Amino acid sequence: MMAKQHLLPIDEQPERYQTLALVMTVSTAYLPLARYLNWRVTAFVALVLLLRFAAVRWPAAAPGRWLLLTLTFVGVANCLLANHTLIGKVGGTSLLATMLALKLLELRARRDHRISAIALCFVVVVQFLFDQSMGLTLYLGGIAFMIVALLVDLNGGMGSNPIRRAMPVVLRISLQALPLTVVLFALFPRLTSPLWSLGFDQDRATMGMSESMEPGSISELVINGDLAFRARFDQRPPRSDQLYWRGLVLWEVDNRKWSPGRAGQYQPADPELTQAAERIDYEIVLEPSQQRWMFSLDLPIEHPPNTVLSGDFQLLSDRPITTAKRYRLTSALDFRTAVPVEAEQRYALRLPANTSARMHAIVKEWQLETDSDWALVQKGLDFFNREEFHYTLLPPKLGANPWDEFLFETRSGFCEHYAGSFAVLMRIAGLPSRVVLGYLGGEPNRIGGYHLIWQSDAHAWVEVLIAGRGWVRVDPTSAVAPSRVDNRGASRLLGAYTPARFHIDSSGVLSIAIRQLRLLADSIDAAWQRSILDYSAAEQTRLLDRLGLADYGEFALAGIMVTAVTVVMGLILVGLIRQPDAIDPATHCFALLCRRLAAVGLVRHAHEGPLDFAARVAVARPDFAPRVNAITDLYIRGRYMPNPTAADIQSLSRLVKAFVPTKQRRSFSDTKRRKYFA
Amino acid sequence: MPQSTPHPQVKLIETLLDTAGTIILGKEHEIRLAVTCLLARGHLLIEDLPGVGKTTLAHLLARLLGLQYSRIQFTSDLLPADVVGVSVFERGTECFRFHPGPVFAQLVLADEINRATPKAQSALLEAMEERQVTVDGETRPLPAPFFVIATQNPSYQVGTFPLPESQLDRFLMRIRLGYPATAQEKELLAGEDRRAMVLQQSAVLSATEIATLQTAVGHVHVAAPLIDYCHGILAFSRRCERFVHGLSPRAGVGLLRAAKAWALLDGRHFLIPEDIQAVLPACVIHRLIGNDGTGRLDHDEVSTLILTAVAVP
Repeated sequence: MMAKQHLLPIDEQPERYQTLALVMTVSTAYLPLARYLNWRVTAFVALVLLLRFAAVRWPAAAPGRWLLLTLTFVGVANCLLANHTLIGKVGGTSLLATMLALKLLELRARRDHRISAIALCFVVVVQFLFDQSMGLTLYLGGIAFMIVALLVDLNGGMGSNPIRRAMPVVLRISLQALPLTVVLFALFPRLTSPLWSLGFDQDRATMGMSESMEPGSISELVINGDLAFRARFDQRPPRSDQLYWRGLVLWEVDNRKWSPGRAGQYQPADPELTQAAERIDYEIVLEPSQQRWMFSLDLPIEHPPNTVLSGDFQLLSDRPITTAKRYRLTSALDFRTAVPVEAEQRYALRLPANTSARMHAIVKEWQLETDSDWALVQKGLDFFNREEFHYTLLPPKLGANPWDEFLFETRSGFCEHYAGSFAVLMRIAGLPSRVVLGYLGGEPNRIGGYHLIWQSDAHAWVEVLIAGRGWVRVDPTSAVAPSRVDNRGASRLLGAYTPARFHIDSSGVLSIAIRQLRLLADSIDAAWQRSILDYSAAEQTRLLDRLGLADYGEFALAGIMVTAVTVVMGLILVGLIRQPDAIDPATHCFALLCRRLAAVGLVRHAHEGPLDFAARVAVARPDFAPRVNAITDLYIRGRYMPNPTAADIQSLSRLVKAFVPTKQRRSFSDTKRRKYFA
Repeated sequence: MPQSTPHPQVKLIETLLDTAGTIILGKEHEIRLAVTCLLARGHLLIEDLPGVGKTTLAHLLARLLGLQYSRIQFTSDLLPADVVGVSVFERGTECFRFHPGPVFAQLVLADEINRATPKAQSALLEAMEERQVTVDGETRPLPAPFFVIATQNPSYQVGTFPLPESQLDRFLMRIRLGYPATAQEKELLAGEDRRAMVLQQSAVLSATEIATLQTAVGHVHVAAPLIDYCHGILAFSRRCERFVHGLSPRAGVGLLRAAKAWALLDGRHFLIPEDIQAVLPACVIHRLIGNDGTGRLDHDEVSTLILTAVAVP
């Protein structure tokens, strides 16, 4: 190994600190990847990096060529074993990470360091396929800064205290790159859907609301601490008990489960409102759910483009929501829907097969005591309020006949139990009913000026068709007497993310502070989302509109981009050329001579003085000697003599420009002579 | 070769070098370095095996330069007084009279300096640095020009006191003569006695002409990029892991001064990179200590290392 080191030119021999800095930068850059890669890949990479660190300390630990080859095969096999593929987001990243780590084991010349540092840039970029949060962006920005510093040091040789000397250079380079970054960010044509969601790797579906509702399905969701969406109101936000966020509407009920209206069975007509008051404008940023449904404040009256508002007021997106989606809406808090057609009313009266005699009996009883539909609904709500119903996240398990068992035996459950069984009761009574899935309330973030709606805010309620009033929202869960809300289970399961309805005590100074911090962090995150990640094709189109170039679409965008990049690069170039320590004319001329001679194979070494070089050229190509000697003579006068004359510089420049060396052509006689002497 | 009007005395030097070349065969570069060293007001250390012509070279230079010459043979029992001189009580005048030692000469040949004890060595080295001698509280200046040529056998020979680095740093140059090439050696064997030839030579330059040239060396122009180059060499020696420590600023000053003298000998009033490269091995290598435990450095390999590591600006 020592012998090999000595074969390198001295300025290619890496210093130990450079190797150490590179390996440390790579290790730091790999840390966030550990979350996404298979543990086998992570373990292999960690092992290789450990070996590399050991080799910095004890050079004898560096593996030889054969061991390295073996390790390479093992690494590829390990990637295959872990991902069953070498392409795709995870597969490709695993291979890249493994190979770069292995490359670190053969760092000999500075060239290897430079290559590894540049390859590390790919690892940095690839991480954005997994996560685009601001935290990671800042982290990787730091890594990029380190990479540039390393490259500066590797190319320049910063002498002692390299980090401090490299920093100003890195800062200058970064500042020069900034305008270019802004231009490319604003103008690089965006694909309407990200490249990496076009087919492969759909494995990481976020947990969210499911398509149907059965006892236990929402309470599972409530334990989840994830964010569902954020909502920002244009005006004063409504009270939190008015915030019913409408999602899916469930029509079908069987022995256990409520599910949406099946296509072919019944298609609701277009949404129709007869009355809408208290209009509210707001904006929602929906987290990716891999589903098509979107949420709106009950009841939406205007919907955003690329969405459908179905007859039962469900807001549906054209395609599954794979990235955070931002949309604007208008809702009315006070509304009256049109009376639906006969078929729709009949559809909303279908009963499951397992309704029991007890259920029919109690409804009968209520019908005898009341004279109007609305009074009947009130009777039902009274039933939940009066009887020993408990509201709990930990309901007992239900058997084959869940609606009956809940109503008459266990009597403790979560909103899906209440909504599901109440709707069944109403259908028995002959009132068309349906269940709505969505969210209730939300946490106001006063720092960011918006509401956070968590998965734990998931809720289910019932809509009953009342003659003369259309579909009316009835929330049977709210009928439960407050004293019978069992929040022990909730706080145990949910910890800090207990939804508002389970809040017992949030008056402690510490808990308030933590809550404020959490809200602050979230508002920073939301701002990042709004200003950077959501910048999309739509904004670019708006920009083109403003410039009057909308008709040309992406071509106009690309054209503006190329122009802007050229302008920025040109400005930077002009700035560099006009630097005070511009190269003196003699040096410029000599450099031109060297370039021309290099083109015919006579390369000047960096450490070679001009006279030595001229002498070498004269030996190699005697035909050049007179001119090269004359040029060298003038160059030496121009560069090293005190007060060189302008005339010398001029004739130097003239001579160099006139001197265009050509490659030696081997004449016929030459070849013959050579043969003769051989 | 770019020519500005050369100094008139430079012609005389050319004659000197030509003459010297006919007596010491095949060592033109080394002789040129020795004269450069003199013009740069430095002292010269010749390190080689016995019998390759060290003493002859010193003797020859003294004759050709017309310098007052003395020789001190360093032995293990040499005392400082044997070098600088001693005060002796004179009965006739009833007072002490100073008898100057051999160091009071314009060209002093300190032969086999590493055979003497460090005490005797330092007496000479102090005189070299200060260009004066203090005996019995009285400071006596040494003649000008004052040029010491010390010779030493390679220190791995038996019975030597190798010069410590701090002392080596006082020599501007260290050169080696080495065996002559075949043709030159045959010529040497066939020719007449070198010592006799030396004695036939007469002075080519006078002491005042040497002083003029020494002053002219200081006026050689050094362009800014060459200062950078020189500094680059110093910086590299401090950065390179092959050496225990880098070159001192004194080494840098010496290197540049020697390069200027070399340029003057070449008939130029300004420095070019090749001047620095020509004198660098002689000026620099003896001041460096290897980092491999033995402290030894291969002269040629290290010269190449330094010369190829630093780019010419």
